[in-house]
Amino acid sequence: MALLETRQLSKNFGGLRAIADLDISVETGSIHGLIGPNGSGKSTFFNLVTGIYWAERGSTVIFGGRDITSLPSHRIGAMGIARTFQLLRLFQEMSVLENVMVGHHMHVPYGLFTTILNSGHVERRDAVIREEMMDLLSFIGLADYADMPASELSGGQRRLLSLGRAMAMKPRLLMLDEPAAGLSPVNVDRLLDIIMRLKDRYGLTILIVEHILKVVMETCSTVTVLDYGRKIGEGTPATVKDDPAVIEACLGQEMNDDEVRAMLHEGASSGR
Amino acid sequence: MRDGLQATALSVASMFSDGVGKLNRIHRLVPWLVVFVLLLPVPQLVTIGLSDYYVYLINKICIFILLTVGLNIVKGFCGQVTVGHVGLYAIGAVSSTLLSIHLGLSFWVSFPLGVLLAGLAGIVVGLPSVRLEGAYLALATLRLGESVRIMIAVTPFLGSSTGLMLIPSPEIMGFVFDSFQSYYYLVMTAALVGLYLSFSLLRSATGRAFMAIREDVIAAGVHGIDVPRHKLLAFVISALYAGAAGALFAHMPPGYIHHNNFIIIEMVTLLLMVVLGGIGHIWGGVIGAIVVTVIYDQTLEYYFCQPLMFGLSMVLLVMFMPQGIGGVIDRSISTRRFIALRQRREAAEGQDHGAA
Repeated sequence: MALLETRQLSKNFGGLRAIADLDISVETGSIHGLIGPNGSGKSTFFNLVTGIYWAERGSTVIFGGRDITSLPSHRIGAMGIARTFQLLRLFQEMSVLENVMVGHHMHVPYGLFTTILNSGHVERRDAVIREEMMDLLSFIGLADYADMPASELSGGQRRLLSLGRAMAMKPRLLMLDEPAAGLSPVNVDRLLDIIMRLKDRYGLTILIVEHILKVVMETCSTVTVLDYGRKIGEGTPATVKDDPAVIEACLGQEMNDDEVRAMLHEGASSGR
Repeated sequence: MRDGLQATALSVASMFSDGVGKLNRIHRLVPWLVVFVLLLPVPQLVTIGLSDYYVYLINKICIFILLTVGLNIVKGFCGQVTVGHVGLYAIGAVSSTLLSIHLGLSFWVSFPLGVLLAGLAGIVVGLPSVRLEGAYLALATLRLGESVRIMIAVTPFLGSSTGLMLIPSPEIMGFVFDSFQSYYYLVMTAALVGLYLSFSLLRSATGRAFMAIREDVIAAGVHGIDVPRHKLLAFVISALYAGAAGALFAHMPPGYIHHNNFIIIEMVTLLLMVVLGGIGHIWGGVIGAIVVTVIYDQTLEYYFCQPLMFGLSMVLLVMFMPQGIGGVIDRSISTRRFIALRQRREAAEGQDHGAA
């Protein structure tokens, strides 16, 4: 069964079609990879699904059987979609613990009036939440840094924190936007290990955008390839890897020097 | 028989734990009560060495504390640049005044109504924040704040150029708060209650949501925070603070308000207090209010260069100490804590190596 399904998903930026009639379905419990060259619409797809961008009319996004196309992002988050960002977007001046506590926001068991009138109750509830979040932090290995501002973490730790913050939402679908970008090979392995353990522990479905092919090949059960906002291939990592259309889009067509010269000439004469 | 005994024991135990819970709640308030009691004799102490004027100054500081604590919620914690705060302050002052003069309402009725009206106006000031950010939001709120003042300045009913005078003093069971000394108890209590409430609010999930919006709006939304709702909430709460400060200011002896009390320079002074104290630090507003009011008062002789002085110090602060006094203190504490943690870990590692 598909947990996330898009039908005819489109997004235009001015005249540019960033995503065009995209049908993707992410199976429950799978790890679904999304690859493609830069500017192929992977991040736009993430932003459309999580309500940061509005999709064009006629698009449909279905999550767990419910239409979420026009919901604002906090409602989508509340339905069980968590994501990380390519540029992380951590709450820099807040502590590591506070970062994950924000992720836990929608599960907070008290309202505004309790907050103002009964801060003792709030304190006790927050203590419970804090304990739970410390658990999560030790799971991803950041418990020691709980009181540090997020801005003072190292690059790898920041990536872990953004993962932890997303996990604090207790999502059903976790969308990872280049989680391993900029990590050393050792840290990539460590991150993959943590992601796999999180998946098993919480029964997650994962949608992952990644440039590091090793990550995609080793973890994904299905891979969708995008180019210019269209789907140009889909299947298991092994089949996608040998698809000529995919190789052309990702690596460029093999061509000889004459062809390159001709192309350059064409570009110059058309005034671009 | 045994069942009955057990039930009794259980109920006694539960009463006991309830009692402990209550004790806990009282326990949290104890520091505030201690501060309250310590602050009670301040006007008497001040008048021993100094004149009554300094009690008036302390009253003004308390009112500024209410204002800066409120401003800190929307600006410091939620990150929304608002320059219209002084307009909300004016709305609180004028509406409470008019209600008590024309309808003869007692302060205890006109005060909450004035606060409520300022809160409603806060929705209007906050609405642009849903769409606008940064400098654009500042411009929008600036116009709203200024238009309130101009409306007061041109409408005779609202005071116009003569101002509103003979504003009745608050009275409770025959006791009239009509001197600087007696009024001090009112504003000091209000400032403490305001501070306490802002602590409860900002140390909760709502406070964390505000900070998340300040740090990154998009990430906040994705993590389940209703951004427009929280922005409006921050504006309304800070408007309630501004309204309370305004109403307290209006009824303070000598009971006179003028639209000059609400000019944009006042707003700049307020911002300076918040920035100097430390944006996003609850105590920052208190520190800023005290320091700036005292400096302002001590340099009254040089009133002609005060705006220049405050403007310059604002620029210098933003350049060299953007985190303010509160931020510097906070950072030094957290750095020290981190160094201690590292030393402890190094010591532990040293032991491990020794064992190996």
